[in-house]
Amino acid sequence: MSELRFDERVVVVTGAGNGLGRSHALLFAARGARVVVNDLGGDIHGAGSGRAADVVVDAIRERGGEAVASYDSVTEGAKIVETAMDAFGRVDVVVNNAGILRDASFHKMSDTDFEAILDVHVRGAYAVTRAAWPHMRDARYGRVLFTASAAGIYGNFGQANYALAKLGLHGMAQTLAIEGRKRGIQVNTIAPIAASRMTEAVFPEALFEALDPAYVSPLVAWLAHERCEVSGELFEVGGGHFARLRWERSTGKTFRLGRAITPDDVEASWGAIANMEATEHPADVAASLRPIIANLDRGTSRGGNAFIDVDEALGYEFPEQTSSYDEHDLALYALGVGAARDAEGELDLVFEMSKDGFKALPSYGVLPAVGVLLELGKQGVSAPGLNYGLDRILHGETKLTLTRPLPRKATLTHKARIKDIFDKGKGALVVQEIRSYDEDGDLLLINEVTTYVRGAGGWGGERGPSTERNPIPERAPDAVIEEPTAANQALLYRLSGDWNPLHADPDFARALRFERPILHGLCTFGFATRQVLGALAPEGDPRFLESIEVRFAESVYPGETLVTEAWKEGRRILFRTKVKERDAGVLSNAALTLFETLPEKRAPKVPAEVEEAPAAPAGPRAADFFRGIGLYVERHTEETRRIDEVFQFRLLSPDSVWTVDCKEGRVAPGETAKPSCTLEMDDAHFVAMAQGSADPTKLYFAGDLRITGNVMASQKLSALLSRVDARFVEEARARGGETRAASPVVEAAETEGPANAAPAFAPGLFAGLRLPGGGTARIQVRVTDPDGAWLVDLGSGSIQGGTYEGADTTLTLDDTSLKALADGSSDAAALFQRGKLRVDGDFAPARDLSWLAGTEGR
Amino acid sequence: MAAKVHVLGVGMVPFQKPGKSDDYPEMSRKAMEAALADAGVSFTEVEQAYVGYVYGDSTCGQRAVYEMGRTGVPIFNVNNNCSTGSTALMLARQAVAGGMAECVLALGFEKMERGALGSTWDDRANPLEWHAGSMNELQGFTTAPPAAQMFGGAGREYRWKHGTRRETFAKISSKARAHAAKNPYALFRQELSVEEVLASPEVFDPLTRYQCCPPTCGAAAAIVCSEAFAQKHGRENAVWIAAQAMTTDPPAEGQARSMMEVVGVGMTKRAAAQVYEAAGLGPEDVDVVELHDCFTANELLSYEGLGLCAEGEAERFIWDGDNTYGGRVVTNPSGGLLSKGHPLGATGLAQCAELVWQLRGSAEARQVEGARVALQHNLGLGGACVVTMYRA
Repeated sequence: MSELRFDERVVVVTGAGNGLGRSHALLFAARGARVVVNDLGGDIHGAGSGRAADVVVDAIRERGGEAVASYDSVTEGAKIVETAMDAFGRVDVVVNNAGILRDASFHKMSDTDFEAILDVHVRGAYAVTRAAWPHMRDARYGRVLFTASAAGIYGNFGQANYALAKLGLHGMAQTLAIEGRKRGIQVNTIAPIAASRMTEAVFPEALFEALDPAYVSPLVAWLAHERCEVSGELFEVGGGHFARLRWERSTGKTFRLGRAITPDDVEASWGAIANMEATEHPADVAASLRPIIANLDRGTSRGGNAFIDVDEALGYEFPEQTSSYDEHDLALYALGVGAARDAEGELDLVFEMSKDGFKALPSYGVLPAVGVLLELGKQGVSAPGLNYGLDRILHGETKLTLTRPLPRKATLTHKARIKDIFDKGKGALVVQEIRSYDEDGDLLLINEVTTYVRGAGGWGGERGPSTERNPIPERAPDAVIEEPTAANQALLYRLSGDWNPLHADPDFARALRFERPILHGLCTFGFATRQVLGALAPEGDPRFLESIEVRFAESVYPGETLVTEAWKEGRRILFRTKVKERDAGVLSNAALTLFETLPEKRAPKVPAEVEEAPAAPAGPRAADFFRGIGLYVERHTEETRRIDEVFQFRLLSPDSVWTVDCKEGRVAPGETAKPSCTLEMDDAHFVAMAQGSADPTKLYFAGDLRITGNVMASQKLSALLSRVDARFVEEARARGGETRAASPVVEAAETEGPANAAPAFAPGLFAGLRLPGGGTARIQVRVTDPDGAWLVDLGSGSIQGGTYEGADTTLTLDDTSLKALADGSSDAAALFQRGKLRVDGDFAPARDLSWLAGTEGR
Repeated sequence: MAAKVHVLGVGMVPFQKPGKSDDYPEMSRKAMEAALADAGVSFTEVEQAYVGYVYGDSTCGQRAVYEMGRTGVPIFNVNNNCSTGSTALMLARQAVAGGMAECVLALGFEKMERGALGSTWDDRANPLEWHAGSMNELQGFTTAPPAAQMFGGAGREYRWKHGTRRETFAKISSKARAHAAKNPYALFRQELSVEEVLASPEVFDPLTRYQCCPPTCGAAAAIVCSEAFAQKHGRENAVWIAAQAMTTDPPAEGQARSMMEVVGVGMTKRAAAQVYEAAGLGPEDVDVVELHDCFTANELLSYEGLGLCAEGEAERFIWDGDNTYGGRVVTNPSGGLLSKGHPLGATGLAQCAELVWQLRGSAEARQVEGARVALQHNLGLGGACVVTMYRA
């Protein structure tokens, strides 16, 4: 490595007669610089005498260096710069080093002490730098150094004046760094610690020795060198240690705008404001403002108070949970809500081998939700922004919706979130929604649990829907069911999972001002559901329940008699339940709806989220899949032949007949003479099966797929379908009518126009992409969601739709990620690290995807 | 300079799948009996015992050692995640090297459950929370087993940095199986092709099922002694520990930027550097290595961490067959964690046993010709990395 040289450079060092300044000047001169050695010749308190500058200049000249002396005060900076211009004709480097001390505790500090410090350190550094600045601008080159101090950065007893000046200089330096950037001027600050006349009195002898100024000057020289590109930074240096300092800011706390922020809010959030565990290091004003800009983007607050912060709580999604149940749980639950009291009726609810077939009592569906909430509570998981205790809440309402009858057993995954928060004036309503999915990810249950939070309302928020729902018709009920509860009903019910001692422990109940343990509200709910369904569902079959909602109005004591009255209005049944002995309404505003026919779990299930979305664009139909199979068969003759079977498909609604002949490598509409087996199914089922979302075996056993001929041959079909992935289908669709005519193996039976493609980024991108020259790789890009495939040949500059053999590299990514890559909002390394970009084959081409940016319009 | 320390005897039991093994005292007894017989030492000569295991209540170490008798000597229970076994070995060596004892037992065992590793305690700070936090920043969380996400993520980072094919990782598993086929102690002894490895279900790209070590039950033991003790038993030529070092995690700042750092590549480098420095030998002098291949990705990273090949050269090293018989250095002749199995507490001592056999020339079908210098690498997330050099 070559030595850092300063040949031809002109360096001004102020306060260079002694100590640090002298050390800087000698080092610069030794490295070839022409140095202006400025020193007033004063003592450390600023009084002038002697010719210290001359001594240093002589020393430099003795060693063959070039230097001139300057005796001006730094407050007359122009003169010093003039000296440099007169002697050498330019100024490249200014080291603002001159300084004095006037230490005094603040209490004893005089105005003169204060002014003298500001004069030398601040006005002096300003004056010298200001005078040099125009020369540096003209030369488009300059290096300026300011000398700060630990006293300025951290504070030091007795140095209020000095500390002010020193940190002030860094403030100036940072701004000059910004202003000088475009003119090649770099400005930095050092906070040296060194033994000099100024600190002689301060340090003990041993430390004094270790703090040779010569340990500081190398940093000054580096920062002043043309190779150094650092600007606007602050460094600590001395005693052999060199380090950079920067600002650190806590992540802090951001309050939503649009509502009052009180001193109490600040106190309450002090942990987050002052905590330095999570921090960032803003380096400029833009970075400093970033949290504020982000807060503006978040919009204004939706309100709240000390109990409820709507912004934080609303929409919060709890961690996922799983639970499972089986016939044992269902039977125990049914007993808990009074089923089969006489051990004869309702055996189908409690006996898994009942001759009528075991049926799950659907109100059991609320228990997984209760379980989730209890478990979350036990784990201490609570939604952010809900800051109230259990003492304030009442279970107000519950609503249960089923997508199909409860299976006899299931393992469910529960996703809970805060769905709504309403301001009811005095209190507030918090609605938690728990969606429960079965083993296949199909939505089975939706629970909505509404809790009333006493005293937590009144922030002027949304009031929510009217509370008077499900009015009772003005006619005699269609059914009245009267049933006693058992004295030990709560003890029995709690075994299903709600362990609150309020329902078992007399002392506990009395402490909460009940005369004795009360029945669970959800037990009453179970009684009523069973009663209403038994009386008014088709043939009393409880599986017809689609949804049910109730409001809990009053507690029930075990042993009391429940009377439920119900009114049937089509599929909807309104009902209410009261305690006979006290004539007190316990369930009100209650209603349930029935399924028209019993739904079954169907293979091509609509995901829950799509329910409210507008109809999706038409997806591929069976014909598209057959054409995709045709493309596969065309390109993979060997693999296909090994299957060695002929499949005849007869599809319904819409009807079509297709032949997939693996022996001959032929896929075509129409019949074949000798099929190995014939498969009959709905068009939709076929599509689901071909997409892999329905399992042929399950379809077969569900009666949705009929197979005649050699059933075993159909086993090989799965193997074929699994290889024909979406890209073939996509390609078949993309090729449209042209391919249908051109392909020797695919003869289209239909004449309809091309199917609607899902809106996607990839097709437009690849259509408009102009590849730069210079590459060699053949890159197969496989896009998912929606699917597509393109071969990018960097050698020939061509892009072709479809999948091809012999690509060097295959990139797999979804459409969204592709878009992010192309528009530069994500970089490939990050996508790859997150598993969003998959690379097969040669890796090297994946690391330069700059060609993706070459789009000219879409 | 610490006194010379010998490994006088080693022993282990064939590793088993969860549910198929003996209980831990039984496995431990068999390993201890084998090690003592191998050393020609009676249990009454053992002055201290260091016992490693991760899963079990406190003082399982005593329960296991009591199988050999209750001599009243000190017994220490050691828990250091996946490097537990070599941590026990290191403590045993320190006791001897420091002159505190002449003959010490290091024992490791583990009785694991089926399935991927997880956290047992959910009511207190997770020791890996910072590692997991860094990972979340760098690549997010998925439902894959956490360890696979960490090591797989490090593999992704390496791939991006150096452009590595997926097949390269699979080749490591295939090599491990080929080695294990000759090891009667190994759990998986059936050979696998690269295609079969790649075709197994994906766990976390680039890792497939066959590129993840299995939960395993097993035990292994070593008798560690002073030079004088070895001489007294006529074993002055016994294998000795030339150098050993343990490193823990570096400052969090570096880990926050790199998955390779999160999984301890830096720990490996520093431990290896210390060992090479202390032994006066370099990676070029090493003949055989047992290294921590909990996932294929970590074996690849460890080649470079241990200096077996230059940075960015691991792919070439693998394709050239430099990691197996006939190549530069044989890595994991035992089949490694991938194929021999990875009972956390026992792994470090099983690695030790394999290398002692290799240096004695008694490794039979899997003997590395003329092995004189052996290197052991055992790594635990959380973190601790132990590197040990043995000499014949």
